[in-house]
This record gives sequence, structure tokens and C-alpha cells, in this order.
Amino acid sequence: MSSSLLHPPSHLPPATALRHSQQAPSVLQNYPGAITTSILQSVFSASETQELWTVYENLLLSCLRTGDDESAHQCLGRLVNRFGDNNQRVMALTGLLKEATAPDNAALDLVLQEYNQILQENPSNIPIAKRRAALLRAMGRISEAVNSLNSLLDMSPTDAEAWAELADLYLAQGLYSQAIFAQEEVLILQPNAWNIHARLGEMFLMAARTSDAPKRLTEALKRFCRSVELCDNYLRGYYGLKLTTQQLLSEASLRASKQTEPQEWPIPASSTLRNLDEVATEKLAEIIRRNSAGETDWQGYDEAEISAARQLLDSHSAARSR
Amino acid sequence: MAQLPAQTIYRDPQLLYWILLPITAVMVLTGVLRHYASVLMATQPKSFDHRSIKEQRSMVHGVATRSNFHVLSAASFRARRDYLTNAYETGAFLKDPDRRGQPPANPMTDPNAMDGMMGMMKNNMAMMIPNTLIMSWINAFFSGFVIIKLPFPITIKFKSMLQAGVMTKEMDPRWMSSISWYFLCIFGLQSVFNFILGSENAANQMAQQMGAMGPQAGPQMFGPGVDPDKQFKTEAENLAVVEHYSVLDDVEDRLLKGIKSN
Repeated sequence: MSSSLLHPPSHLPPATALRHSQQAPSVLQNYPGAITTSILQSVFSASETQELWTVYENLLLSCLRTGDDESAHQCLGRLVNRFGDNNQRVMALTGLLKEATAPDNAALDLVLQEYNQILQENPSNIPIAKRRAALLRAMGRISEAVNSLNSLLDMSPTDAEAWAELADLYLAQGLYSQAIFAQEEVLILQPNAWNIHARLGEMFLMAARTSDAPKRLTEALKRFCRSVELCDNYLRGYYGLKLTTQQLLSEASLRASKQTEPQEWPIPASSTLRNLDEVATEKLAEIIRRNSAGETDWQGYDEAEISAARQLLDSHSAARSR
Repeated sequence: MAQLPAQTIYRDPQLLYWILLPITAVMVLTGVLRHYASVLMATQPKSFDHRSIKEQRSMVHGVATRSNFHVLSAASFRARRDYLTNAYETGAFLKDPDRRGQPPANPMTDPNAMDGMMGMMKNNMAMMIPNTLIMSWINAFFSGFVIIKLPFPITIKFKSMLQAGVMTKEMDPRWMSSISWYFLCIFGLQSVFNFILGSENAANQMAQQMGAMGPQAGPQMFGPGVDPDKQFKTEAENLAVVEHYSVLDDVEDRLLKGIKSN
């Protein structure tokens, strides 16, 4: 069976999710529905593995994405058979299925009330708390979603996933400093995650438009540098790096501003900035060239990101030739 | 030098059916039983309530902040440090803030701690009781029987291991007594259990002993008898003495140097 069913499916491209869910009937037929506990049968049948249940869970998610509710129900049924109704993770999956099959907002409200009730009985049910936050966000009740994530994080401040979601929510509302704070918490828990470094850099870059530009642009620059230091050929990192250096170079007024606190990072010298800009341009051009030439080691970039990088380079060279 | 004549002992062929096979069968069956008994007796992993999760994770959060401070800028780190040390010192994360400063509860009277001890007791009992019973059963019925002859020669050192219960000085160490067969079964049936019960069975006592000796890691950071308040205070001190630097300090120079050297 494909090993990719063992990976969490949330970030898969739609085509892969579709392929997975099309496998659903054969998986459901070939895999055992339940594991017997009797000795005699266990000698002859396959033994229970953790992978089996991971496959069911991921298949459930993929099927929900593609609208194959029938198979999703079957997967959930097998999980419930094995782990019981009261397993926290199974409860969250059940809720997810209900959310996905809810026809209208009234049904979603019912699911939400169910979550509230579960949480009232057992406030430490983390999977359900996360589902509740996600549901509130999906229903457009952003501030309630923020509150529910905050209370979850008050109980469990080591949950990187929840911090990242919170950062995203704040960012969507335009609350930059809160978003940056939450994203920094993610970094504390996952210090070497280059995508989180780059994401934080993007947040600083966005925040620099509102206020405090020199300081925030400098930190954005450093975040992007760190992310490409951790991961060579990281497209988002180089893209952000180029954007930031361009802004820092073009706006001479920023450079004139005084340093307020001694502990803050100074804006790098313009020679360094130019070098960085050059490096980022070269790297982006290389990535685009090799990716579109179809070299095997250079695939896997997001199409949209590649074309955005191409546009950035084009506009840059146009501005220069003018 | 003349070779010693091979020792021959005429054994009743019935020994095979009435001693060797029964001991083996009993050993296998006890292993299977022990597996299912431990599956039955296994306690559900304890679910913690809201406040104790908060207590534990706040502690872990502090440790994470202290060990990964280098991803933050100086200002962000300072803000976090001020918040955490303040909360640690005022006991904001404690499970029951009223009990601050009181000595920790006696682990013998704390029901939570008793659970863990009972679990260990049960495991030990599940190993010890059947072993004692079977050994006394073998001693009572089959002591002193020489039951098989190993098909390969071994040195005299193995005599005490293979001929336990048979006090005969001159006998070739290849002969094996019933009690020794029992010991051999204890240590040698692992692959049989793996076959019958799958590889994660509880029948294998060697694995259990290894596990018991290993460090008791896991989420149980606050074992019985440890005062969380004191741990929080220590952590606050650890945070206070951190001398901050950041990986971002001269990252752009590092990056340029790294790229140029390629």
C-alpha cells in the first residue's frame, strides 16, 4: 500500500488527496476491519499495527476533502470500533465528520453546542478544544475563535499547532504585534523550523508597513536569512529576503533614522544589503530556471510561488533597465 | 591417552512424554496467560485534569523558553522572561495555589501515587507468582530426573547450570535435569511468544525487567513527593540568569560567508 497514506494529509495538493480517496474502497476491503483478540486467529491473521489506524485516520480526512462521505463513515466506524466513543481523538474525528456533512449553519451550531458540552464535562479534552476553535473560525466568529485558542493555550502553552493557528488568526485581523508574539512562541517550541522563521519574517515585513519600519524590516531580513541558512533553496525565504533588501535599499529615509536602543539590531550596511540582494536574485533565478527545466531534484515547489518569484524578478529587472 | 568411554544412561522413553513435554507446555501456556492477564489488568493511562496539565506544561514551556531563547530578539525574550519568572514566583501555574509552602503530601497516602505503585506491584506479581508456583511444582514432582542429552558436547562449566538438582559429580554435562530444562524454557521461549502473541507481548519477563530498570521518563515530571512550587522557583532562577544572545545577531554575514565559500 502506498506509504503516503501514512503522512498527515492536511497539506497534500488536491490531486493527491483525490487519488487517496479513490483508493478508499480497495483499502477498506483489503485492510482488516477489526483486530481479533483471540489467540487462535491472531496466529493466522495479520497482527495489529499502529500504521493501520493511521491509514484509516488519514483516509478519513482525504475522503472528507473529496466528498466521499460513505467511505469516511466506514473509516470512522472502524476507528470507533477499535478505540471506543470516548477516545479524545476519535471524538474529534467524529466531530469533524459531523462538521463536514452538516448541510447548513444551524447544523453547525448544533455541533458547536455539542463541543461546548463536551468541554464543559472535561475541559482538558484538547482535540475537541482545537476542533471548536477551528469550527468557530470557519463560521466566521473570529474573536470567539481567538478566545477559545487563548484558553486552550493557557492550559497547554506547549502546543505549537495552536500557537501557529492563533498567529494566523491575529494576522488575519491585522493585529501584527500579537501575531508576531504567537509566532515567536511557535519558534520557541520548534527552534529550527525554517518555514516558521520565514513566516515570522513575512509578518514583520507586513507589520513594517504600519509602524516602526526600520526595526521591523531589519528583523524581517534576519528572519529570512536564518530560514535560508537552515534550508538551502527555500523559495519563500529568498523571495522575502529580496523584498526586504529592496525596501531597505530603496527607502533612504529609513537609514537616516536614529537607533533608539542599544540592544536593537542596527540596519545592516548597504554593501551587505546589496550582496544579500544579489544572492537572493541569483538563487531565485536558479530555482526558477532549474524548476522549469524539469530537473528532478528541483521539483516540488508550489506553482504559484514559482510564478510569483518570476514576476518579482521581472519587475525588478524592468525597473533596473528603465 | 585412551578416550573415556561415552556415558550411556538408559532412560525411560516415557520421560519425554511425562516430563519434558508437560514442562514445556506449561511454560508456554503460562506465558500466554501472563500476557492476557497483564492486558486485562493494565490500567488505562491516567487522564490528567485541567489544572495539572496546566502545571506540567507551564513548566515545560519555561524549559523550552530557556533552552531556545536564541531564536528570539532581545526584547521579546525579555518580555517572556519577565512574564514567566513573575508567574512562577507568584505561583500562578500551580495546581492548588493554597497548598504553597506546605510540605508535599506523603506519597503513601496520595491516591494518585498509589496507583503507580499498584501498577508496578501488579506487574511484579504477575511475574513472580507463576514462576514460584511452577518451580515448586517441578521441584515437587520432577526433581532429580535426568531428561535429555544435548546433541552437542559442552564444557564442565555448564554442569551447574544444566544439572541443577542432580548431585552427580562424574556425569557428563550434556545430560540435562528437569529443573534446568525449566530455566532454559524461561529464557528461551521468547521467539515462541513472539510467534504466538505478536512482538509486543507481555509474556516475556526479560523485556519487563529491562523496562523496569530503564529510566522512568515520560510526562510524570512531578512524581510523588516533589513540590512543584520549588521546581517553579528553580526554573525562575534558571531563566533569570540566562545571558541572552540570538542566532539572528550576525546571520546575514554568516549567510554571505557560507554562500561565498561554496
